[in-house]
Amino acid sequence: MNSLRTYPNPRQKYVLQSIALVTLGVVFILIWNVIKKTHVSDVPVSSVPRVPDPLSRLLSDLYLFLAISFLAILLGVACAFYLEEWLRETNWIRCLIEGHVGLLSGVPSLLYGLLAVAIFLPYSGVFKTIRTFVPATGLETTTFQGDTLLFYVTMLAFVLLVMPRVIKSTQEALRSVPTPVREAAYALGADRWQVLMKHVVPFAFPQVLAGGCRAMSCALATATLFISIYVWGRPTQSEQMPDMFALFLGGALALSIFASFLFGKYPPVSTRHT
Amino acid sequence: MNSQTTPLNYSIETENLSLWYGDFQALIDVNVKIPDGQITSLIGPSGCGKSTMLRCFNRVNERYGNVTTKGKIEVLGKNIYDSDVSLPELRKAVGMVFQRPNPLPISVYKNILFGLRIHSPVRSLTRTESDQIVEEALTAVFLWDDLKDRLKVRATSLQLEQQQKLCIARLLPLKPKIILMDEPCSALDAKGTLAVEELMEALAGTYTFLIVTHNMAQARRVSKECIFMFLGELIEHRETQALFQTPEHPKTADYVQMRYG
Repeated sequence: MNSLRTYPNPRQKYVLQSIALVTLGVVFILIWNVIKKTHVSDVPVSSVPRVPDPLSRLLSDLYLFLAISFLAILLGVACAFYLEEWLRETNWIRCLIEGHVGLLSGVPSLLYGLLAVAIFLPYSGVFKTIRTFVPATGLETTTFQGDTLLFYVTMLAFVLLVMPRVIKSTQEALRSVPTPVREAAYALGADRWQVLMKHVVPFAFPQVLAGGCRAMSCALATATLFISIYVWGRPTQSEQMPDMFALFLGGALALSIFASFLFGKYPPVSTRHT
Repeated sequence: MNSQTTPLNYSIETENLSLWYGDFQALIDVNVKIPDGQITSLIGPSGCGKSTMLRCFNRVNERYGNVTTKGKIEVLGKNIYDSDVSLPELRKAVGMVFQRPNPLPISVYKNILFGLRIHSPVRSLTRTESDQIVEEALTAVFLWDDLKDRLKVRATSLQLEQQQKLCIARLLPLKPKIILMDEPCSALDAKGTLAVEELMEALAGTYTFLIVTHNMAQARRVSKECIFMFLGELIEHRETQALFQTPEHPKTADYVQMRYG
């Protein structure tokens, strides 16, 4: 029954995957080493001011952004289901959203990161200003939200990053559910929800999941980019950096590899059927 | 024709049925009466609206956007475009078999129960009942002996012929009145075709069959009445043998004598 598959044979696939894994790992280790060295050697420890560092706030905000990205992914999946299953192809809302999604999802994630950083970094001088006004003890609890514009802009960057991707990949996953399966279920008298829950979702699930993982991996990678650029700009506050950096980057890598694995293991349904 | 012998009941009646895909008119004022409990075949060149008409009868056409239907279709004496018609009930009464066997990618057992399960409340079927239903359905399509030990097998891994029979078997637990078949044998070899035809003959009487076919020999073999369509219009509807031997319309003559094209 797998005669219609046109995928590389498993061995080839695993070789490719492991090469990708090793390459990514090497890049990761190199980057980490470079960053570590920069901090350890460049900065005399005594010159670090003993105030709570803005990095922890940056991180807490990043966590918030990541949580928002996660919610945005869930919303994106729901949105894709609505567009694909409920609206007709000629519906203007669908055309509008699909047009924008097509535009936005084509933009590389790096560009989003840089875009956000371009807004983020100039404003991060704000930290210093705040520090002069706010008592040092209160700093840990002060969040980014003090600067609403910055906060919302960054949040928007994250949402704009993940939503189009996840909408696009989910729609593709839904489209890959073979028409005969849908037709069969509809012709037996199933209603939309039954077809959706019993056939479309089980079929498209691995790919929806993979798409979500990829989008989340993008968000994590962008967060990593923030940290690295921020810390590179201020080598003095480096103590926390490697942990978070490793955590985010590791998460991004793991998710993206998991997504690739899902795509490999569960190829688009239309080729799996018959 | 038949009407001389017994007053026929009609399963499906249409009145001035017209259908458009966007701007393209696929059916033009079709008036047709499909008699009860017989096999009626629909022939005609590709793109003449046979499948479209078939799909009208259980309203699967509507899933594709951009479809406009006008006229009246009465199925079992009820206009199916009335607002109080429930689509699941309609599709339960009017089953459909597609050109390419499309068993759902779940086990044989679940395939047969799928229709029944969506039409009955959750967990209303006991194990013994469902076993019995599956056995009856598979026996009716002569698959029970082949498959009784392989009920848990994924239906998509069966032979095409078995898949197509399974697609028919899947309709039976719903007790439909009408079974629409859209070129059910085009993906099957000669043996499979014969098997499906035998099955249809065995089931005719209990069910009304309406079958679209490109195989004129098949239309002659299995159907009692035959409808010839051309470019969205119904050209001729008569008893099969009469239609093939003494076609009234020149277009029909061209087509059945393979001079078309």
